Amino acid sequence: MRSCLLLLPALLLLLTLPDTRGRYNDDFDDGEDLAEFDDNDFAEFEDVNEDPTVEVESEPPPKPAPSSIPVEDDEDEATVEIEDGQDEFEDADAQDQDMYSKYDKDEFEGYEKTNSPFKDTLIYQDVPAHLQNSWESYYMEILMVTGLLAYIMNYIIGKNKNSRLAQAWFNSHRELLESNFALVGDDGTSKEATSTGKLNQENEHIYNLWCSGRVCCEGMLIQLKFLKRQDLLNVLARMMRPTCDQVVGQIKVTLNDEDMDTFVFAVGSRKAMSRLQKEMQDLSEFCGDKPKSGAKYSLPDSLSILSEMAEVSDGVMDSKMVHYITNHADKIESIHFSDQFSGPKVMQEEGQPLKLPETKKTLLFTFNVPGMGNTSPKDMDSLVPLMNMVIYSIDKVKKLRLNREGKLKADRNRARVEENFLKQTHAQRQEAAQTRREEKKRAEKERIMNEEDPERQRRLEEAAQRREQKKLEKKQMKMKQIKVKAM
Amino acid sequence: MTECRCFGAVAHYKPPSTDSNPTLEDPTPDYMNLLGMIFSMCGLMLKLKWCAWIAVYCSFISFANSRSSEDTKQMMSSFMLSISAVVMSYLQNPQPMSPPW
Repeated sequence: MRSCLLLLPALLLLLTLPDTRGRYNDDFDDGEDLAEFDDNDFAEFEDVNEDPTVEVESEPPPKPAPSSIPVEDDEDEATVEIEDGQDEFEDADAQDQDMYSKYDKDEFEGYEKTNSPFKDTLIYQDVPAHLQNSWESYYMEILMVTGLLAYIMNYIIGKNKNSRLAQAWFNSHRELLESNFALVGDDGTSKEATSTGKLNQENEHIYNLWCSGRVCCEGMLIQLKFLKRQDLLNVLARMMRPTCDQVVGQIKVTLNDEDMDTFVFAVGSRKAMSRLQKEMQDLSEFCGDKPKSGAKYSLPDSLSILSEMAEVSDGVMDSKMVHYITNHADKIESIHFSDQFSGPKVMQEEGQPLKLPETKKTLLFTFNVPGMGNTSPKDMDSLVPLMNMVIYSIDKVKKLRLNREGKLKADRNRARVEENFLKQTHAQRQEAAQTRREEKKRAEKERIMNEEDPERQRRLEEAAQRREQKKLEKKQMKMKQIKVKAM
Repeated sequence: MTECRCFGAVAHYKPPSTDSNPTLEDPTPDYMNLLGMIFSMCGLMLKLKWCAWIAVYCSFISFANSRSSEDTKQMMSSFMLSISAVVMSYLQNPQPMSPPW
């Protein structure tokens, strides 16, 4: 440390040595005689301006100060060895302060004396997280990837479970179906209808089976609608709402035209009946009354009936049917027989459709698989009696015939519905007819215009005029006839 | 038991057309596909990491709910887009994602 103290004045001395003066001499060379310069440390600053003199004044202080330092050092040498090293530092600090205070303040712009200039204002920046060697800062990304992995795991598990359930259902029903239908399993891709003998997978949670080749029915489409076990979002939603829908098997039997009489009938849980009455086109049109209780047929209270007329209910609900329904009431969601089935009500944006929707003679069955979501493959066996009921219903409906009164009533109902529909769409049909006529006229005119031969053009024009004349005459005749009739 | 099978009257399976009952179709895969694409574009353009991650989730959900008849190319392109969104946002800014709280 003593060597530092000695170096400091040495450095200062070096700064003021004649060597450096040589450089300054070049700067002040213009018009001054070198000889006039004394061999004086401060000769360079003479005759220039006052500022150098100020500097000259400030220069001497460092000189005596450094010279005093060795003296002080000598004085302190003895004390330095005995006393703490801090004294040296204190002296150095004091010297620094003294040095700066002796300088002219004008020389130093923007300099403010501070005791500890930089100690408090140091800001330690954090190392950016991505340059740190730790994975902890990426915890959000790790969470995301974990979530994705969980989703994939759930997808695989859910898909496998649904597949196992579907296979279990098919295995337990295969014998019954193969004894009743010539064709079991058809995916519609092959040209010839050959029995594939397996389910058609539409989705990870929907399986189809088409059976055909039976007397009195065109075909039967069985749709196994499982819960979306492969979608984690759905699984979580089901946890929140434990009263979610169960697994549903929807069986749609399409009958041949001569196999079913004209009636509309439905039986099922109360909730399902009220929903179907609002949604289904035929039930809303033909079964206008509220769902009735099935107590008349000793059905459980949970079930209700929608029927076109009482005779139909009596005809359908025979003892065997009642037996089936009562024993499996918890599994039955809805049973719907209709000769006017056209699906749910279609909401048209541009008003009503112009044609009556196409109807088919259909029997629809919707069953709930027991287990409330936690279904096991063994539960599929309990649905076999319901399939027996389906087969029985097909045969029964073929034999069921309304008496004369019932038939008349049914026909009147259908006529009424058709008339209502035509009335509602009358205005639209007129508009459509008008536009069609205008289109025809326009097309004809265009044809005439495009005709290059003037002779042919003239002839076509004449023909069009004659046709219009005839039409007008016809209309006039009609009006006359109507007037005569009115009179 | 009388034979009720009728081998001559076998009808070929006709898949129900979607035009006749559009309400019965599940719109989830289509919505998720669209959402996935929107989030991917947001993640790429606005350099938002969370958008890119949500896009990946959307494409997974769309895949899980898709019908088997649907085009796999559509699924694959949706996947690739969302994964590229994630990769690009991390290449541009390797900082870890900060939670919104």
